[in-house]
Amino acid sequence: MTFLHPLALLGLAAAAIPALLHLLERRVPPEAEFPPIRYLTEAERQNARRLKLRHLLLLLLRTALIGLIVLAAARPLVPARGGGGGGGGGGAHEPTALAVIFDNSPSSGVLVDGRPTLDRLRAAARGSIARAGAADRVWLMLGDGVLRGGSREALLATVDSAVPTSQRLDLTAAVERATRLVDAEPLPSREVHVVSDLQRTAFGQGRADAARGVRVLALAPPPRAPSNRGIGTVRVADGAVAITVTGTPGASPAPVTVRLRGRDAGRALAAPGASVSIPLPTVTPGWWVGEAVLDPDELRADDRRALVWRVAPPARVRAEPGAGSFVNAALAVLAEGKRVADGTDVSIGERLQASPGKSVVLPPADPALVGQANRALAARAVRWRFAAPGTPGPLSSASFPGIGGIPVARRYRLEPRLGDGGQTGRTGADSTVLATVNGEPWLLQDGDVILLGSRLDTAWTALPAAPAFVPFVDAVVNRLPRGEGGAPVTEVEGAPRVAFQTRGADTVGATVYGLDPRESDLTAAADDLVRRAIGAEPLDDARFAAQRFAGARRADASGLLLVLGLLVAAVELGVATLTP
Amino acid sequence: MTDAQRLDLLNPADVARLGGIEIVAQGVVEGFLAGIHRSPFRGFSVEFTEHRAYQPGDEPRYLDWKILARSDRLFVKQFEEETNLRAMILVDASRSMAWRGAPARLTKRAYADRLVAALALILLRQRDATGLITFDEAVREVIPARVRRGQWTRLVRGLLDTPDGLGTAAQAALLHLTSLLARRGLVVFVSDLLFDRGLALTALRYLRHRGHQVIVVHLMDPAEAELSGPPEVRFRDPESAASVVVRPRELARAYAGTVQREISAWRTACRRHGIAYHHVLTEMPFGTALRLLA
Repeated sequence: MTFLHPLALLGLAAAAIPALLHLLERRVPPEAEFPPIRYLTEAERQNARRLKLRHLLLLLLRTALIGLIVLAAARPLVPARGGGGGGGGGGAHEPTALAVIFDNSPSSGVLVDGRPTLDRLRAAARGSIARAGAADRVWLMLGDGVLRGGSREALLATVDSAVPTSQRLDLTAAVERATRLVDAEPLPSREVHVVSDLQRTAFGQGRADAARGVRVLALAPPPRAPSNRGIGTVRVADGAVAITVTGTPGASPAPVTVRLRGRDAGRALAAPGASVSIPLPTVTPGWWVGEAVLDPDELRADDRRALVWRVAPPARVRAEPGAGSFVNAALAVLAEGKRVADGTDVSIGERLQASPGKSVVLPPADPALVGQANRALAARAVRWRFAAPGTPGPLSSASFPGIGGIPVARRYRLEPRLGDGGQTGRTGADSTVLATVNGEPWLLQDGDVILLGSRLDTAWTALPAAPAFVPFVDAVVNRLPRGEGGAPVTEVEGAPRVAFQTRGADTVGATVYGLDPRESDLTAAADDLVRRAIGAEPLDDARFAAQRFAGARRADASGLLLVLGLLVAAVELGVATLTP
Repeated sequence: MTDAQRLDLLNPADVARLGGIEIVAQGVVEGFLAGIHRSPFRGFSVEFTEHRAYQPGDEPRYLDWKILARSDRLFVKQFEEETNLRAMILVDASRSMAWRGAPARLTKRAYADRLVAALALILLRQRDATGLITFDEAVREVIPARVRRGQWTRLVRGLLDTPDGLGTAAQAALLHLTSLLARRGLVVFVSDLLFDRGLALTALRYLRHRGHQVIVVHLMDPAEAELSGPPEVRFRDPESAASVVVRPRELARAYAGTVQREISAWRTACRRHGIAYHHVLTEMPFGTALRLLA
């Protein structure tokens, strides 16, 4: 048995009042002469047993009366029979730690039968929180995954003001965190209510490690999920934009339109799971922002996604005599595509220019010249040097995914230059390792100098023979000297928008925020998946309402106790007044 | 004299306020005798003297049935009172007798004094030798039974001269009483009987054995018959100083039962030994009490 107002139980101490009065009463009764005291003592002797019983009975009745009143004030809760089918109305429950997961992820904005799914979820979440009592502790988790506590009224206000967010909620992780939280609460009952559209893509890997004794209730998804399409990913490369359409598998194809500055720049037809490539018009150098748009459907949030790309002017490159034939061939290809032009902005070869300028330095073909090359690097205050030959191995690079795995047969290890005190020189903030072989730097940038551990020759590495060679050279002579790094445009989950990164007065990158493509697949999770992932049985609205606090449902016994108290009071009155 | 004017029928406390014990006793006796028109005490001292014509109000038992049979006329027999009845009145003067349950009532002792005075006056008017003994834990006053002139005054003086006792009636006093009553006669024992019943019965049985006609008047204040008082009270025995704390309301019924059993026990024991027993409450009019004794 638990109590709604356990502090009232302190009043049980008052039950001792009759006994204390009986024991501690030191009242001196008035005294009077009474000659026939022998009759009195005789009467008392003959009735002593009855009087003792009467006194004991009165003491018990009065103690019980106080106890019953105090217990009734504490609002005791006793297990209720047949509480499961009550439709969630009325009835008290024992103190419960409750976490309500209100999944207002982007998919909650979908319209089902003309009504936003969010409204249904909001009603269910409101019902759970509104049923909580003063003795309960309640937390609310929205699509952002943050568990927020607070008063019932505050949480209800949060639920009322919630709109579809732009973040996907991993229900498996959310349930695990929520169960862990409520399990730590020292209350008799613990529940987690999952109010979600239960997309199958909302469940992460594995199973939520739900603590024992925590009831997890899940609101069942709508019987029929609408078919949906969304823009998954958008990539711009080589003058075209590659668009992946996501959504309900099997949905019919829909037209995808690329818009640039308010004008349609291209259009294609794609079904969920398919990718289309739409050529972009030739534009002047600079950063360009457009969007890929799908025709509107039930879920509007994923129907468009921004695309950003940069059109750079061709770098003016001069190949030094020792650059090698492969480099010259690649530069010729790039020049033909107007990606590079002749000039002195960037030099590439085994000799480092003494004058300031951007240089791509290859190791000298003659090992005897390595020392000279290192001295030249030192003269340019480059903090790296060619060291002893390194072991062969495959290339590894996060900045240039296309060159990953390409074998390197010969190379010089690139080591930081030792300082005057014999210590290894610091690489500084401007030094960036862009590719490695066997975990050792192979390609790095230190200020205006880009240093390679191998010559770009098939005798040193298979890279010149790989398809990624020309893009690699393009990046080395175009992007890297400009400080754009390996990935100037990144995609991040968030409210759809574009943010540019700048370095000084230059724009060096852009971040495109958009929805998680998994939100577009509105297919509901199968019951088995829900059971396996979060240990809950999906319940329709009525059963969900009925099962709230069902594990902790109790009947308030205060009314019964008050009736008992009245009966005891009547008996006490009768014993006190009717019996001599 | 109407009933409203008869002192023997009025409230004893009201009657007592009319004057001294002599006046009260005489008034009571006058009223009492006017009411019954006959001598209430008959016995060894009554001898037939003459007949007279029957008058309405005469008791039928005094009709001379032989004359009625012979002459068909109603005559009643008249008796001459003699002085050979020796009545001795024993009055308990113990401390418990000086108690009353309410200020508006007489103490048991005051009631007894007036009742005894009236009784003695009646007896003396019948020319019965009447004496008085008062006692508590000891014999306090002894006035031998006489019929001479001024005897009633001496008896009343004896009552008045006996103070309220300090203790209770003791066995020694009762045994002394029996030794003082050598000649047989009428013994009227007036007491609240708040002492050992066995002891008292032994003495009374002894008197009965000696040929005395014994009448026991058990005086009781109404407050002694029905227990009442504050919710809780410590009652103290004025004689023994013993005390007990009781709640009168919860013990009242049991107490009343105990008192009734005590009265019944006295009545039964007295009847068994040929002793007349009368229970008299101090709120009972003197005339009523005297009629009980008649």
